[in-house]
Amino acid sequence: MKNNYIGQAWLVLVLAIVFGSALAGVQTTLQGRINENKLKDTMTQIPNLVPDAETGVQDVIGGVTVFKAMDKGNQQVGWVIQASGQGFADVIELLVGMSLDGATITGLYVLDQKETPGLGNKIVDDDWRDQFNGQPAGAPLTVVKNKVTEKNDEIQAVTGATISSDSVVAIVNKAVGQFRAALNK
Amino acid sequence: MTNDGPTPLERFIRGILPENPVYRQLLGMCPTLAVTNSMRAAMTMAGAVAFVLICANIVTSLIRGLLKPHLRILVFTLTIATFVTIADRLIAAFMYDMSKQLGPYIPLIIVNCIIICRCEVCASKQSVFTATSDALGQALGNMLALASIATVREILGTGMWFGWRVLPAAWPDWVVMVLPPGAFLTLGLLLGCANWISVKWAQHGRKA
Amino acid sequence: MDYIANLIVIALSAAIINNYVLHYFVGICPFIGVSRRVDMAFGMGCAVTFVITIASLLSWTLTYFVLRQGAPLTMWLTGGKPIDLSVLNYIVYIFVIASSVQFVEMYVRKFFPPLYKAFGVYLPLITTNCAILFACLKISSHVSGVENPAQMWGVGQALTLSFFAGLGFTLAIVIMAGIREELDHCDVPKSLRGAGITLIVAGIMALAFMGFTGVDRGLENVLKKQPVEDTADKQAATTAPAPQDGQSK
Repeated sequence: MKNNYIGQAWLVLVLAIVFGSALAGVQTTLQGRINENKLKDTMTQIPNLVPDAETGVQDVIGGVTVFKAMDKGNQQVGWVIQASGQGFADVIELLVGMSLDGATITGLYVLDQKETPGLGNKIVDDDWRDQFNGQPAGAPLTVVKNKVTEKNDEIQAVTGATISSDSVVAIVNKAVGQFRAALNK
Repeated sequence: MTNDGPTPLERFIRGILPENPVYRQLLGMCPTLAVTNSMRAAMTMAGAVAFVLICANIVTSLIRGLLKPHLRILVFTLTIATFVTIADRLIAAFMYDMSKQLGPYIPLIIVNCIIICRCEVCASKQSVFTATSDALGQALGNMLALASIATVREILGTGMWFGWRVLPAAWPDWVVMVLPPGAFLTLGLLLGCANWISVKWAQHGRKA
Repeated sequence: MDYIANLIVIALSAAIINNYVLHYFVGICPFIGVSRRVDMAFGMGCAVTFVITIASLLSWTLTYFVLRQGAPLTMWLTGGKPIDLSVLNYIVYIFVIASSVQFVEMYVRKFFPPLYKAFGVYLPLITTNCAILFACLKISSHVSGVENPAQMWGVGQALTLSFFAGLGFTLAIVIMAGIREELDHCDVPKSLRGAGITLIVAGIMALAFMGFTGVDRGLENVLKKQPVEDTADKQAATTAPAPQDGQSK
């Protein structure tokens, strides 16, 4: 009886071994490259997010994964934090650049979003993201509609996409709060 | 299928239009709808499907003499899932932005009926050469179908094609075309056109 | 409380806002093929809901304990060395689905003959239903793709997602079947009959379901207490619907 089973299934077993080793080969060859790709998005943006920064080093402080932004002389000049949260349509992933003391936001980049094309996806535009540069991180930012931003910590919403703008600001506020708490520990 | 079935060349041509997997057989609708909001995504997807389809057909055809009837679906699934994983890893390594955009739709090739259908109907009964030309034809047909839908959706939805502007910038983008409803509407209308054309052709043939 | 709020958001988003058929385009084949009559559509929907829940439970278990990086069972086997087996995810999931379909079919035939009569014929078709693999992949992306263990999905989230995704599929296919029964009396252009008109109707349904977009974020804000450092006017916005918050417990 046992022989019979093996006689019927030997092809499946041989195929499983062949395919298994093929997969192992592909995995070991490509894994490094794939992991590199995952980090590359963040790494290429670090110079745009923190002034004078050249490269980044991954680090964990107080349970939060962050990147230390380094300048040419390998001196730390700031921080870059990854943040994500629910947007209008799906999860929005952001990178937030922070000054070394964690007191000022120095830049914002949208890694991934699926907001409505033509409306909500304007959150990726430079003009809109530039509003975040130089904002104080101590107090949470607020979103304003249809008026000139007066105070320092106000962000003008994207026209027709208040919820998307609101979401981004909420994600930034939450991540910056967590980061500052971890930094002060 | 008997020996006097269609020749490899006929099989190749059949896959492209008369038995187009999407328009005529209504197979593999999920990726057809999901990834056709831009030409680049659609072509990456068509390429991945072609790779898996051709590899799976060749392997199935090579081992067709050893297949046990009740284990054959298991073997097909194992083969397809392996090649899909390889395709997924390759795309993640060399076209990372596409891999992020296509996301779960690449692994969903495993349950794409086109591939298992071709393994069952053709590759498990025919020689390697025949199976390869059959797979090439079906893959090309699938690619044409995806390209036609993606062209309509991307041009109407964003005024661009492959990321190049084809309509004047004053074109009011029909945003709905790149959103889910546009996919259903486009495919439904194109399917109607395809049916209408094939009916016209049949009538024309009868007259002549 | 946050946990329950999280579950409610996942459930609503899987069933309605990001409906599997109308938003993610998975499970289109049965959606077009088996939506001619309402009773058939309902049977198919139930069968999918049933299988999707079981397959997700199994694949969550395998992902959590065996496949993800640093999984307990692999750690134990290799003596504490974390290996990432997630390259095998797809193969494992497809076999989990195929075998759970077989298992469900046998179980239902033996213990619930009337139920088997009602939807037994659809069970073998489900193996190639993308919706089920899609649910498994979604769950796996929240288990093996997550670096922070606190954000990793537990079995509760996985079951909620899959069950409500199945319900959403049932909802979509039953509505579709209802419309198609009425369409039989209409004079549809000849070349659009069958799949063509079905897809166009699906497009209009998808347009209607798009109206739900963004509801999940609003709901999340209502159900979860805002962090303390938020501004005063935002807190005012969240305290207003607080009574609802109490009811949903």
